[in-house]
Amino acid sequence: MNRESAKALAIGTFGVAAAMSLAMIASHVSPIVGFNAFFYGAFGGKQQIAETLASTTALLFPALGIAIAFRAGLFNIGAEGQLLIGGLLAGWIGTRIDVPPAIAIAAIFLAGAIGGALWGAIAGWLKAARDANEVISTLMLNFIAASLALYLVTGPLRAPDAAGPELSLLPHAYWLPTLLSHTRATIALPIALLAAFALRYVLDSTWFGYRLRAAGEAPEAARRAGISLSRVALWAMAWSGALAGMGGAALVAGELHRFNTQLSPGYGFIAIAVALVGGLEPLTICVAALAFGALESGGLALQAAAAVPKDAIHVIEGLLVFALAARRYLGARGAGAR
Amino acid sequence: MTLSLVLSLFALALVRGTPILLAALGGVLSERAGIVNIALEGEMTAGAFAAALLSYFTRDPWIGAIGGVAVGAAVGFALGFAATRWRVDQIVAGMGINLICTGGAAFGLIYVFNQAGVTPQVPAINQALWPMVLLGIALAAALQWAIARTPIGLRLRACGENPHAARAAGIDPLAVRLYASTIAGGLAGLGGVFLALGELNLYSDGMIAGRGFIALAAVIFGRWTPLGAAGVALIFGLLEALQFALQGNIAWLPSDFLQALPYIAALLALLGASGRYRPPAAEGKPYP
Repeated sequence: MNRESAKALAIGTFGVAAAMSLAMIASHVSPIVGFNAFFYGAFGGKQQIAETLASTTALLFPALGIAIAFRAGLFNIGAEGQLLIGGLLAGWIGTRIDVPPAIAIAAIFLAGAIGGALWGAIAGWLKAARDANEVISTLMLNFIAASLALYLVTGPLRAPDAAGPELSLLPHAYWLPTLLSHTRATIALPIALLAAFALRYVLDSTWFGYRLRAAGEAPEAARRAGISLSRVALWAMAWSGALAGMGGAALVAGELHRFNTQLSPGYGFIAIAVALVGGLEPLTICVAALAFGALESGGLALQAAAAVPKDAIHVIEGLLVFALAARRYLGARGAGAR
Repeated sequence: MTLSLVLSLFALALVRGTPILLAALGGVLSERAGIVNIALEGEMTAGAFAAALLSYFTRDPWIGAIGGVAVGAAVGFALGFAATRWRVDQIVAGMGINLICTGGAAFGLIYVFNQAGVTPQVPAINQALWPMVLLGIALAAALQWAIARTPIGLRLRACGENPHAARAAGIDPLAVRLYASTIAGGLAGLGGVFLALGELNLYSDGMIAGRGFIALAAVIFGRWTPLGAAGVALIFGLLEALQFALQGNIAWLPSDFLQALPYIAALLALLGASGRYRPPAAEGKPYP
């Protein structure tokens, strides 16, 4: 960590603490009581730590995916839709196959990755073939994904045991093993961490990663050097969607144990903040995801214990993103920025 | 279909399209000055919430309406200030603003009214619904003329196309961009006011429901012209109205598909329009 980012971290931490204190005072709660509730909710015991880790996992997958697209100069705002479609395919496969659990879990994650990749690739293809603005296309695809998922689970894929807009429950054997027993912290977290290390290697040390970064940082130079910008756009969006889709699979197999259209309370959007706070570097994003995971679970505890509305946390996350916008993480984004 | 049915369909299209139209006009204004405005959604949210809040406490819906526009403008000012003085990445800053506004409104609901999701009913200006529709269309025509034919419009366009040349001609691009972003926020805020006090008489969480983003699409499909964006916004309104009209009437067409109709249309438009949309050359690029 260099001096610049250490300074940013210190200012960010101080800013978040100050903003949270303000929210508490506005809600007539003493900051001492409030922070106590917050930290207890985030780290106070096995159950609390597990909740934090579960939120961390749910944010880490889409954040890593978003980092791929952003590094390629593509503003993928569509992680929410990619996560949903990935979760849908994962939840569907999980109820259709009859194989040993380890293979089933692998198949569920693969299905999530494929679903997300296909959904991401639509925007990638529109960018590559038709030079369509990816901010608009990924946003529209979010809405379409929500409608499509709702249609499928209430129509053609309707489950007999469904109580809401959801698919059947996965067989118990396919539920992800937990890290801490009787909690929502599952082996999805180490899988996500593994993905982060793999992504770091791919971005920093492979030909694909090099082309991707070149297209994002200096598109004109990359094009002149013979790198196909449209091919990079297609594959970057597909991989970006694949990671978000794995996040959907992790939620399906690890938390809900079935697909539900209400799978994600906006993880795909908060993950944008996580990716930016993490400086679009896979390993730093892991740290950012932990911080945001703690904010999420601590925020819930704060609401329960001290009646500070949880939405205050989203304001704080927004302020963080707004402040971070001033730092020019994204470099020159000629082609990517439209 | 009878004539009266067609007429009521178009009336509904105008009502559903107007909030999108107002926000899209704001989008055109700020983007022609060179500021990408992804924060329209947040500005609409802020405008709608502030309007309902002020109308509730003053019992005067007009104060609410003016307040909603003012708060939208304040959010636009914040985006413009950050974009011009801090040279931030405008898309990232816009997303931050959206988070702040939607989270802030949800927080405010609980903080002020002690209930989640929705405000109590507030005094509204439902009688001004149609005048506001007409105002939107008139504004589109006026802005079209102003941007294309007046010296101020020329300056605005210069800042979006080539701020360095504008500077050389004695224009202050930073000031123009800041003004444009502020007025844009006010227009988006008016769109929020239209929803909260014109169509309804309350604010509820999620009531903007992506209209700010649809407005952004209207800006692009309208090729960054006020009349074009207004036309596309009204087409989106028509698609929404069709959704109401067709719901339950056509058995083989799932209602979820109708719900997604405006978004699918936008995607198809992107597909069909390759390379025909050229944004202002300096859009999104910080100056100097």
